[in-house]
Amino acid sequence: MLGYILRRLAYGALTVLGVSVVVFVIMRILPGDPLVAIFGPEGLTRLTEEQRAGYMAELGLRDPLPVQYLRWMGDILRGELGHSFFRSESVAEMILRRGPLTAQIALLSVLLSWLVGIPVALISALRPNSLADNAARFLSILFLAVPGFWLGMLIVLGLLFAFGYRAPLTGASLLADPWTTLQMILGPALVLGLGQAAYIARMARSSLLEVIREDYVRTARAKGLNNRAVIALHALPNALLPVITLSGILLGFVLAGSIPVERAFGTPGLGYAMFTAVSERDVFVMQNLVFLYAVVFVALNILVDVLIAWLDPRIRLR
Amino acid sequence: MSAAAPAPEAASAAVASAGQRRRRGIGAALAAFARRSPLSAFWGVVAAAIVLVALAAPLIAPSDPLAANFRQMGRPPSEAAWFGTDQVGRDVLSRVIHGSRVSLTVAFGAVLLGTTLGALWGLASGFFGGRFDLVSQRVIEFMQSFPDLILAMAIAMALGAGTGTVIVAIAITRIPFGGRVIRSVVLSVKEMPFVEAARGLGASKWRLMFRHILPQCVAPYLILATAHLGVAIVIEASLGFLGVGIPPPTPTWGNMLADSLNAGLVPPWWLVLFPGLAITLTVLAFNLLGDGIRDMLDPKLRGSV
Repeated sequence: MLGYILRRLAYGALTVLGVSVVVFVIMRILPGDPLVAIFGPEGLTRLTEEQRAGYMAELGLRDPLPVQYLRWMGDILRGELGHSFFRSESVAEMILRRGPLTAQIALLSVLLSWLVGIPVALISALRPNSLADNAARFLSILFLAVPGFWLGMLIVLGLLFAFGYRAPLTGASLLADPWTTLQMILGPALVLGLGQAAYIARMARSSLLEVIREDYVRTARAKGLNNRAVIALHALPNALLPVITLSGILLGFVLAGSIPVERAFGTPGLGYAMFTAVSERDVFVMQNLVFLYAVVFVALNILVDVLIAWLDPRIRLR
Repeated sequence: MSAAAPAPEAASAAVASAGQRRRRGIGAALAAFARRSPLSAFWGVVAAAIVLVALAAPLIAPSDPLAANFRQMGRPPSEAAWFGTDQVGRDVLSRVIHGSRVSLTVAFGAVLLGTTLGALWGLASGFFGGRFDLVSQRVIEFMQSFPDLILAMAIAMALGAGTGTVIVAIAITRIPFGGRVIRSVVLSVKEMPFVEAARGLGASKWRLMFRHILPQCVAPYLILATAHLGVAIVIEASLGFLGVGIPPPTPTWGNMLADSLNAGLVPPWWLVLFPGLAITLTVLAFNLLGDGIRDMLDPKLRGSV
């Protein structure tokens, strides 16, 4: 098991290195001019040649690309993620301040997706093609099509019209003021959770239907266990393995999905910071945030792989 | 939600069934499709209707989507403007109709470009194998280490706004899926007896690749492409909503939703409801049509995720 974890970690480190190159290529080498990104096409024409050269040198964009890349990697290793062009707060401080909110939203959404998705899948799988099954399948197909951020906007509007309620836009930490924080994260977590629940329900349903046909489930039935015990104790644990993998992958996608959703709710998390960076064309903040998201994404995948290997000896021993 | 791709690996199984298909007229094929899965056929009709609306947008739209009318600002839905007007008096219905053009252009463009590039890459990488395949697999893995929306955001921002850049940005996020699926198809087809036979008869590498293996990739390619249309539409809308899509005043569904947040402290409900409904309906139609096409081309996958 330890060997497996070490192998997986080494592989993950390689992936992170590759990912950093991809981010660097996108942000620096693609034919876009970083000054255009910063000042906008009109702003650029107003700059003189000297000003342009000055900015380029100041930003270190005059150096050869490998030097720029190595300097960026060095900065990251030292934990210096630079400053926004537009704000005094450093990127590292911003991540520490805003990150927890987005992390709470993501984790709560995963919890909600299981709370909704698994019971729905159980109802579906126990009576395939029944009315309940068809309703559940229709809902999951519908929720795969509804954009989360739009659902979020509708919820904000609905609460405002019906109750004149608007979730607080700033708040202390979860420990200092749990009630305010909960109000801030519940909306985004609900929207993101329902989106994931649709995938989870589909996957858990088909996985359950497959497992139920296995010999050992028939054996459990044959020895006289009632249906509920067979499903809960024998079928479900094995059926959940692919669901755990899926849930881990979805958690990575939720981090991306939270960008428009946080904008819809006006939640001041990391996703909102990403939106701000993008709309201000803040190249360097964007570069670091994209890299951070990718690293978290890779780390989550490793975590899920290790978790699955721990739960399922067939994978561990292969 | 723009998340993981629907059933990619399994598409490779579609190879066999497509090969055995008899040639029929298109009408007969469509009728057979409708009989086999009426639900998918219904959503196919909806999808076709949406495509028609997009094509005929200038004829159908009641007024110019860009024409501001300062006497009709922020009006709720009425007889004159069924979907209401926005904060500068533009007709929301006309903007939603014209928005379908942009959405579908971007979705079809991005999926065709991305899936085709990915498929060619997968074909080459599966066929030639060796070091090229090894490197390709790593590069594809690096590309898949980003949630697709974030990758698209970064590329769209780096390239600057515009229809072309949004298409390219979304297309790049589709490349890995094409690459992986087609590669796995090629790996299995390569070992089939008819390819062995052609090789034994002395067919050249290129002839093997394009004459014998490529046709077997068409069905999985179609399944993959239709499955990704919905995802592409959601990513396009998200990019527009985040302000890195096609720049205003072009009416896109994402832009309209972003605009509604600027229409005062409380966005009027009709500015939020209708563009989002358009996205949902379109994505739903293409997703269900895609499911139907997958079931038709590959009966083995029916009912699976």
